[in-house]
Amino acid sequence: MSNRLFQGVIHQMRDAIDRTIGVIDETSVIIACSELGRIGEVNDSITADVLAAPGTFVVNGYTYKSFGSRPRPEYAVFVSGSDPEASRYASLLAISLSSIKQYYDEKYDRSNFIKNVILDNILPGDIYLKARELRFNSDVSRVCMLIKITNKSDISAYDVIQNLFPDKSKDFIININETDIALVKEIRAGIEPKDLEKLAGSIVDTLSSEFYTHCVVGIGTIVVGIKDLARSFKEAQVALEVGKVFDTERAIVSYDNLGIARLIYQLPTTLCEMFLKEVFKRGSIESLDHETLFTIQRFFENNLNVSETSRKLFVHRNTLVYRLEKIKKITGLDLREFEDAIVFKVALMVKKYLSSNPVKF
Amino acid sequence: MANISLRHVCKTFHNGVVAVRDCTLEAAEGEFLVVAGPEGSGKSTLFQLIAGLETPTEGDIYIGGVVVNQLFPQQRDIAMVLPNHVLYPELTVKENLAFRLKMHRMPEAEVERHVQEVAGLLQIDPLLDRKPGALTSMQQQMVMLARAMVQGHKVLLLDEPFVHLDEKLRAQMGKELRELHKRLGITILYATKDQAEAVALGDRIAVMKEGFIQQAGAPEELYASPANQFVAGFLGNPPMNFLNVKVGADGSDYTFTFGKSAVRMPQGWDGTGVLKSYVGKNVVLGVRPKDVHDDPAFVEKMEKGVVNAEVEVMESVGGESYLYLTCSGHSITAGVDADAMRQSGEQIQIAFDMEKIKLFDSDTEHTIWR
Repeated sequence: MSNRLFQGVIHQMRDAIDRTIGVIDETSVIIACSELGRIGEVNDSITADVLAAPGTFVVNGYTYKSFGSRPRPEYAVFVSGSDPEASRYASLLAISLSSIKQYYDEKYDRSNFIKNVILDNILPGDIYLKARELRFNSDVSRVCMLIKITNKSDISAYDVIQNLFPDKSKDFIININETDIALVKEIRAGIEPKDLEKLAGSIVDTLSSEFYTHCVVGIGTIVVGIKDLARSFKEAQVALEVGKVFDTERAIVSYDNLGIARLIYQLPTTLCEMFLKEVFKRGSIESLDHETLFTIQRFFENNLNVSETSRKLFVHRNTLVYRLEKIKKITGLDLREFEDAIVFKVALMVKKYLSSNPVKF
Repeated sequence: MANISLRHVCKTFHNGVVAVRDCTLEAAEGEFLVVAGPEGSGKSTLFQLIAGLETPTEGDIYIGGVVVNQLFPQQRDIAMVLPNHVLYPELTVKENLAFRLKMHRMPEAEVERHVQEVAGLLQIDPLLDRKPGALTSMQQQMVMLARAMVQGHKVLLLDEPFVHLDEKLRAQMGKELRELHKRLGITILYATKDQAEAVALGDRIAVMKEGFIQQAGAPEELYASPANQFVAGFLGNPPMNFLNVKVGADGSDYTFTFGKSAVRMPQGWDGTGVLKSYVGKNVVLGVRPKDVHDDPAFVEKMEKGVVNAEVEVMESVGGESYLYLTCSGHSITAGVDADAMRQSGEQIQIAFDMEKIKLFDSDTEHTIWR
C-alpha cells in the first residue's frame, strides 16, 4: 500500500523537480520512481545498514535521505546528482513522504481504530464505514479483556501479551495507560466462559511465573461486530472495579459472573445509604467488632450451619450461638433465619460498596 | 538444589480471607514433595509465598537455610510453573527460552549459555528451532519446564502444571518428571488436587485443607495412619466409607451401632483404653472399600463385623469391581472380586475387616484409633 502512496507523490513531484527521483526500501528494491521502468529494480549498494546513516548521503551519483517511523529507517528517497540542490530535494522529499506515510498509517491503522472504538473516540456512524474500509469482519465474535498490572515491574507487560497473542489481524493489544492494557480478541462462536477464563489465566500465570508481575484481568461479555466492543470494554472495567470492591483476591473477574455485586454496583449511593439505615435501624453495624464480622462471614460461608461453623472457627457450639444471639440483640436480625441472613448479607455488601468509593463507568 | 523450610507461615489477605494458617513444613534437599488438597485449600498461595509473589503475614520461609521473606522473587533462584502457563506461539523453542532473559536485558552470550544449559539438562536440544505448534503435548510441557528453569533452578515449584492434560498424558508427564527428578536431584514441590497423582509422584505428601497442613508424610504412612478424617477420606479411590456410629460397651466388648445395624470389635482389641470416654457418644467409623468383603468365607470368619446390606449397583473398573450398597440408611462401597456377580436390589451380607477400621472424633474429626 505504501508503494502506491509513494508513487502517487513521486509522480506529482516529477514535473516540479527536473531530476530522477524515487524511493528505495530496506530490501534494496526501488518501490517508486519518476522513471516507471526502474520500479522493482534492485540496488545492492543500498542495504538496511546503509539506510541507518543519519543525514543525506551519496552513493553512485545519487543523493539519498532515509526516512520511516520504526527505530531503524525503512525507506530512503533518492535524487539524481550529488550537488547541494540534490541534497535539499532529498531532504524535502523525505519530510513530505514521511509525513504522508504517518498520516496514512494512522488513518488505516486497525489497532488505532479499535482503540478509538473501545474508548468511544469515534462516532457510531463512522464505525461501520471505517470497519468496512479496514476490511474488518463484522460477523465474528470478539471479547474485550482489561489487564491491570498491580505491582511495579521493570518488564513491559505489553510485549509479553503481544507475544502471547501474536496474530495482529485478529487480536489487538492496546496500552490504555501505564498500568492498564486492553486485549481485544477474536474468538470462536459459542466459546465457553471457562475457556475465556483459561485464556485470561494464561496471561496472569505467564506474567506472574515468568516475570513475577501481578495482574488482574477483567473480562467483558462476548460481542458480535465492532460497535459493541466499547460495551465489552466497559464491562471489563466494571468487572475489575466490582472485583476490587467485593472480591479483592481474585485475579480473574468476569462480568458475566458478578452476581449480586453487579446489581449493587449499579445502585445510586443515596439508595444504598437509605437501605443501610433501614436494616440497621435498631443498632449500628459499627458496633459489631471485627471478630463478630469474621464470625458472620464464616457462618455465611458454611451455609448457616452452626456446628460446621463452630468447628471451622475452633469455638464451642454454644459460643457461636451466644455470638449469634448478641448480633440479634444489636441488629434485630437473627442470622439463623434465611430471610434475616440474606438481608444482612446484602447489607454487608452494600456497606463494603459504599466504603470502597468505587469508580463508576 | 536447596532445601525449603516453612516455619509457622500465615497469610491473611486484605479482605480478611486467611489462605494459609500456621504452616510448618520441610522439604529436604532433592526431595519430591507433593502438596495435595482440594480447590481453595491454600496450595497455590503457599507456592506463591515460597516464590515471593506474596509476602507472609507471619512466619519465616527458608530456602537453602536462608530466610527469604525479604528477597524479591528473582533473587530466590526458583523456577515456577503455573496451571495456565503457555508458550509464545510465534517464537521458536529457543526464543521462548530466551524471551524472559532478553526482557531482563541479559547480554546475548549469557542468554545463549543459559538456554543451552537448560536445553541440555532437559534434553530438548533437538527441539530448539521448532515452534510450539510443531511440538507434541509432552514436548510442550518439557519446554515449559525448561522455560521456567532457565533463570534459576535451586527449587522447582509446580502448581498443577499438567491439569489441562488428559489422564494418560498426565501420567506420562508424571513419569517424565520422576525421571527428571532422579537425574537432576532437584528439589521439587508439586501441588495437585488429585490424590492418585500425589501418591504416584511424591516421596512425601503434605495434605492441605483450609490453609492448614493436615498431615505430612510418606504416601503409605498417610494411607495407613491418617491423622484425621479428612486425610483418611482424601487418600484412596474409591474413598474410605464413613459411618456415624454410636459407641456401646458391655465390659470390654465394644459395639458400634448405626441405624439397625451394629458391628463389634474383636476380643482382645487393644484400643479399648481410648474408647472408654466415648461410650454412649457418636464417633465416625471409617473403613476402606477394600476392607469391606462379601466373600462368604470372610463373612463367616469376621462374624463381629457382619451387617446386612442391599446392592444398589455393581461397577467394574478394569480388573476390580465395586459394590455400591445401602446399609441402615448409610451408603457403603465395597471392593469385591472382579468375578462376583451381584444384582441391583439383592440382599447380601457383608463383613468389615474390624482389624483395619479407623475411628474419628465426630466433633474434631481427629483420629481416635488407627
